[in-house]
Amino acid sequence: MIPYTPFMISTFLLLAIGLGCLMVKRDMIRLLMGIEILFNAANLNFIALSVQSEGFVDPLAQSVVMMAIVLDGAVIAVGLAMTLNVYRHYRTVDVRKLRRLRW
Amino acid sequence: MVTDWTLTQILWLPSPLAILLLGGLFTPFIGLLTERVGLRRVRELWAASVLSLALVSLYLLFQELRGEPGGVLLILPFGQRPPGGSCFEIDALSLFMGGSVAFLGVLVAIYSFNYMEGVGRLNEYYALLIFMVAGMTGIAMAGDFFTLFVFWEMMSLSSYVLVAFLKERWAPIEAGFKYLIMSATAGAFLLLSMSFLYGMTGTLNFAQLSASLRGAALTPWLAVLFCCLIIGFGVKSAIVPLHTWLPDAHPEAPSPISAMLSGMVIETGLYGLTRVLYLIFTPSLFHIPISALAVLTMTMANIWALLQQDIKRLLAYSSIAQMGYMLIGVASGTSYGIMGTFLHVFNHSLMKGLAFLSSGSIVHEVGKRDIESLKGVGRMMPISTITFFISLLGLGGVPSTNGFISKFILFNSAILVGAPWLAVAGVLNSAFSMAYYLRVMKALISKPEMELEAREAPILMISVTVVMALLIVLLGVWPEPAIEYATEASKALVDNIQNYIRAVAY
Repeated sequence: MIPYTPFMISTFLLLAIGLGCLMVKRDMIRLLMGIEILFNAANLNFIALSVQSEGFVDPLAQSVVMMAIVLDGAVIAVGLAMTLNVYRHYRTVDVRKLRRLRW
Repeated sequence: MVTDWTLTQILWLPSPLAILLLGGLFTPFIGLLTERVGLRRVRELWAASVLSLALVSLYLLFQELRGEPGGVLLILPFGQRPPGGSCFEIDALSLFMGGSVAFLGVLVAIYSFNYMEGVGRLNEYYALLIFMVAGMTGIAMAGDFFTLFVFWEMMSLSSYVLVAFLKERWAPIEAGFKYLIMSATAGAFLLLSMSFLYGMTGTLNFAQLSASLRGAALTPWLAVLFCCLIIGFGVKSAIVPLHTWLPDAHPEAPSPISAMLSGMVIETGLYGLTRVLYLIFTPSLFHIPISALAVLTMTMANIWALLQQDIKRLLAYSSIAQMGYMLIGVASGTSYGIMGTFLHVFNHSLMKGLAFLSSGSIVHEVGKRDIESLKGVGRMMPISTITFFISLLGLGGVPSTNGFISKFILFNSAILVGAPWLAVAGVLNSAFSMAYYLRVMKALISKPEMELEAREAPILMISVTVVMALLIVLLGVWPEPAIEYATEASKALVDNIQNYIRAVAY
């Protein structure tokens, strides 16, 4: 059995890094990377929890994580396509310039 | 208990889902083929017929469900039993939600015939619309968190692309990116809460989660889980501190998609929240936070709506306010309150759908969305304006529309559980919301100040809006059938929750 505490700490660290990235960064590609980090925090937690019983790895958690990786890959792909379109309209990928819609 | 439908046996899916997924998959091919041959309008007809077929099969499934003891259908893909295998667990509430989604989907698809004419990439448009409906139906039928998450992302992905569909303009792209960032963050929190649930119980099946967690005392981990669930579902359902994407994304989408997003997508978020909260927690645990969120949501959204100049943006804020009313029923914790919530979900899908569709006809003709510049349009487009008025009156809760019935039940349920302040807040907000609805009506029928060119919308668009307006009035004066279905749905969630748990043998 692998101790859970280090994994829990790194999950919360990843969560904090991802949220911080979403709040602080101004580059659209970096925002998408922040989302990727958030998803990875959750995935890491799943995997760490799946090895908690002695000599047994739960296939349920592994399959959920596999599927989650695919799904967030799809989300990031759509996000990148939108970033490309934003660049075509605004000639920049700085989110501070995306302030034309308000309220 | 496994259904013996042939389609279900071949594809391991409930039949409405199988129809929607296959239909969505074939839409681009059919569109491309018929374009090559030179036939027009085939993919539109195909999309509308796939959605209607799904509606019919939902009804057949409902008939089958009534004969089932306990009122729960369990469909196990690949024959694996939980916790190892994922499953679909269908009760009356799932079918109520699925039916509302498919019904609005059919109307929106017919409306899109004329509205989306002249816009390119229609193959993708109809395929995405069907996939969005399929995602929502799948969420409603999911029997475990894993299935729910897959269909959740399916719905989200199609809605991101559909919000940013008119990519030649800057506004939809900007709104779509904002929506994507916020909604994907929520998706990550949903996955995190799934991992916590998995860590606590070792399963993701709703029934087994409920059997082991329901009634437990509130531990710090459960509190963390509760917060993650509120963030995960709350962003999609636009509960106030998390709503900021909605007033950008809903107005910038094409009008039929706005109707779909405001009418059903945010309610699907609410459905997920309700289902999970009622399965995992006892109502006394979440009564206070949910009622606080309800009051905050409706009050703030109504104040913001009053300040809007853009007609579709005003309707978007009004959707957030309606979400606040629906949360009252969730907070009440009784099957009467839940009945009000889901009756309001259905009624709101008709009313807000109609509001977006008929204002979409007006905006489509005039080409402007400012309330001031729409002055006098009512004289040129009488039918669209009248249907728009009916929907606004319904949203304000005027008696003899269906909005009154469901709001009455919601506020009554708050009084019955001993929280009269919730009912007072709701009634005050309803009255307050009439202020901005009446402002829109006044602008539309007052004398035009400048030259306006507007003709009545094409016959198909008109007929869809007229049918919806008639339904709103009909269900306002004769609400029994809708109430009957909603009661059955709410009983399945609250009173007969043990049947739902027992259907998965432990």
